[in-house]
Amino acid sequence: MNQPVLGLFKYVDSMVEAAVMLKDTGYTVTVFSPIPLGAELDPIIVRKNYIKYFSLIGGIIGLLFGIILTLGTAAMYVLPRGGLPLWPATPTLLLTYESTILVGVIFTLMGFFVIARLPYYGKKRFYTPKVALDSFGLLVEDIQEDKIEEVEKLLHDYGANEVNRVEQP
Amino acid sequence: MENISYNEVNEDVVRTMTHTTWKYWVALVTCAVMATVLWGGAWAYQIYVGQGVTGLNTPTFWGIYLANFVFWIGISHSGTLLSAILFITATPWRRSIYRSAEAITFFSVLTAALFIFVHMGRPWNFYWTMPYPTTRQLWVNFTSPIMFDVFAISTYMTSSVIFLYFGSIPDLAAVRDRVTGWRKPIYTYLALGWRGTEAEWHWLSKSYTFFAVFIIPLAVSVHSIVSWDFALSMVPGLNKTIFAPYFVVGAIFSGTAAIVTLMVILRKSLKFEKYITMMHFDKLCLLLLVMSLLWSYINVVEVFSDWYANTSVENETLRYRMFMPPHSYMYWLMIITNSIMPLLFIFKKLRTSIFVCVVVSIGINVGMWIERYLIVATTLPRKYLPNMWHGYTPSLIEISITVGSFFFFAMLFLIFVKVWPSVSIYEVKEDIGIPMRKGFKRH
Repeated sequence: MNQPVLGLFKYVDSMVEAAVMLKDTGYTVTVFSPIPLGAELDPIIVRKNYIKYFSLIGGIIGLLFGIILTLGTAAMYVLPRGGLPLWPATPTLLLTYESTILVGVIFTLMGFFVIARLPYYGKKRFYTPKVALDSFGLLVEDIQEDKIEEVEKLLHDYGANEVNRVEQP
Repeated sequence: MENISYNEVNEDVVRTMTHTTWKYWVALVTCAVMATVLWGGAWAYQIYVGQGVTGLNTPTFWGIYLANFVFWIGISHSGTLLSAILFITATPWRRSIYRSAEAITFFSVLTAALFIFVHMGRPWNFYWTMPYPTTRQLWVNFTSPIMFDVFAISTYMTSSVIFLYFGSIPDLAAVRDRVTGWRKPIYTYLALGWRGTEAEWHWLSKSYTFFAVFIIPLAVSVHSIVSWDFALSMVPGLNKTIFAPYFVVGAIFSGTAAIVTLMVILRKSLKFEKYITMMHFDKLCLLLLVMSLLWSYINVVEVFSDWYANTSVENETLRYRMFMPPHSYMYWLMIITNSIMPLLFIFKKLRTSIFVCVVVSIGINVGMWIERYLIVATTLPRKYLPNMWHGYTPSLIEISITVGSFFFFAMLFLIFVKVWPSVSIYEVKEDIGIPMRKGFKRH
């Protein structure tokens, strides 16, 4: 694989314009930023929200867990109490409510880890600390050998403060 | 915040974690020693001698420990709930204060949970509340409100920790990049390999929204359930339908007051004047004013409905609370601190006065502690049979543990500001705005 190129920008709109151009040309681009850019990146990529499925599945599992725990244990270990139902509604509702939220939260967290592919402690992913400070990074990959200089020039032309060839991790 | 650069935010926040003054160590050691002696020592003595060292006796089997439990659970509503509500409503002034507020939630829930262990008398039997089949083939009794508590508080604590940690991941990565030595591997591990790619931000933002959506009804349910520990009993003064909203409003009220007090301390001690501005105090004090009015309304409703019902048992509870010393002194002090003093916040000049903010916010929490104490100490001693009436006075051991809990909480918070970014780096940068060629763009 050819060497990727990283352009560090001061302004987000400059970076987005460069990213759109490079993406349309067929390069793979990855944006790095110190803050969430949200809608600013819509011209480059629009993602669907898959986290909601994890939250929903977690919520359903939590709901079933709460019902089974309260009603199931009441049925398995019968504790007769005069005048009171074997399957009480109030505690079942309350505990189910809590367990729905608890398992929903845990599944949402797991969903984030799965989709964002974190945690990752290896060294095979590119990173520069400058993008946690005040620079917006644009990593361009899939560049043919003879096109590297062209991409570097283009990044400069779009306003990159710093353009570097990045070692393949 | 336009005059602050992105780089400056990283420097300022990381500085608070790496540069420590002697004053910090004095404060930390003092809190640690006091917590150990006043709480740890007194609790150890209580365990060794038995619950007889407390003021608890027939018919008052719930005392100051449970008042403290409710108080600390109330304080916990400051952070996570407020942070989640302000996040969902996209309120920008949340950004500088929410991290510390969320930490307050975790530490106060922890302190509250420990009070259950103190109250239990035999804390080593806590596992009896865990849902598993014992050799007696008997599960825990889910119909008990105490069991609702176990589930609600465990869920709240777990969710709050996840909420706090999850929102901190990008900042932990920023800290990882700037620290050296022993801190480096710790923050590398905590940052989970965060790189700040567009995809990571996207998933973080989506997940965070879901956490906030889960947290809001959870926080409301937690304090409602805490209120039902009391309200589901048949004790005069406790068996009230208004208790759940009363507790939730009281919790947000005391929690917000705790945020104000701690933000003043944080702002001064960490030199965060740039980030925690007078605008934050203005907004928080407005919220305090609203909560004070709601709290006062519920108090009036509670008194008037009992007065109108005119039953002997409810009348006695009210008389015992409102007109018989020493509880009456506490009751009217509570009314002054929680219903009258917050009215000062009608005036913007007073909302933006640090001195007034500190005095009123501390006053509110004194009042809220009194409220919780009076709920316990003026109801159980005055149940249906006058021959069973018996006053309750906390013993020195109980008072010592109560005072120790404040040092314990302060110790945890002091440790937090040294090991965790106490102001959200990336969200403060969002406050500054997104740098565009034509200037900063704000959302």
